[in-house]
Amino acid sequence: MTAGSDEKCTSEVLAAHADALIGRPEATQRIDVTDEERVQMAPLFELAGQLKQSMEPVQPAAAFVHSLGKELARTARHQLTATRRMRRGVLIGAATVGSLVSIASVVGAIIFVVSRQRARSHAQTL
Amino acid sequence: MEAESDSALIARAKQDPEAFSLLYERYVRNIYSYVYYRTGNHQDAEDLVARTFYRALKHFSRYVDRGAPFSAYLYRIAHNMVANWHRDRSRRQIVPLDETMLSGVKREQPAAVAEEKDAQGVLLEAVRHLPEDRQQLLILKFVDQLSNAEIGAIMGRTEGAIKSLYHRTLVALRQGLMGEDIKGSYHEEGER
Repeated sequence: MTAGSDEKCTSEVLAAHADALIGRPEATQRIDVTDEERVQMAPLFELAGQLKQSMEPVQPAAAFVHSLGKELARTARHQLTATRRMRRGVLIGAATVGSLVSIASVVGAIIFVVSRQRARSHAQTL
Repeated sequence: MEAESDSALIARAKQDPEAFSLLYERYVRNIYSYVYYRTGNHQDAEDLVARTFYRALKHFSRYVDRGAPFSAYLYRIAHNMVANWHRDRSRRQIVPLDETMLSGVKREQPAAVAEEKDAQGVLLEAVRHLPEDRQQLLILKFVDQLSNAEIGAIMGRTEGAIKSLYHRTLVALRQGLMGEDIKGSYHEEGER
């Protein structure tokens, strides 16, 4: 076995050991190591065990969770209302601009036709 | 009743603020644990957790669900918050590790327990001296008890890279605890 594959194998074993320590389902796969490897890895297994013991989840204060949750819910409601209002505003604005453009093009077309007719009748008179 | 999936909650939260509250309820404890271990005190942890969720909410309308767990998004925000916090703090002063978890032990507990807590304190202090990504990995693994795939999604690495980093972290931590040249081993890793 090469040094690279050795290291990869050690990483796999240590990862499986860590998963077993935290009780993850994927850790059910067996940690296959020889006795010699187990002896070599023993200090790292032990260190991982100490880490697991020392790093317990820490619970936030219930009052903090509750008050932050309430604040966030209020902010979320305001944010959603503001977004909806803004979307409505953008929609109304776009519709207004669209209508103005349509009216302007109709007026422009009328002016164009009228001026053309006038020009034609003026040419006939001459 | 089966809990609503993250994806379903995210889709609903775009229209319904209550759904965001459910996402908050689902992850606030994990994010709190993570931030607590990165800052070492409850006051700053509360402040940074609040800022994390406010930022997540602020940018939520632009959040695109690509199948990764929502927690990965929150952890990344929390990670950036903590990094900024450390940067600001290093500019001002060095505050010693808050031993809230260990407080009172020395005075009130039997000697054996106090000794054990001392050893834990030494270990946690050594963890604090690890580079950021290694601290993050250990917290996500042992405190938040995530799988390597989940940790990979949060840290933007493959599962294999996480396993390898975990291996190197244990080796470096052991060297650090034994008083060996811990910095040398980080440099060595950086070259790989």
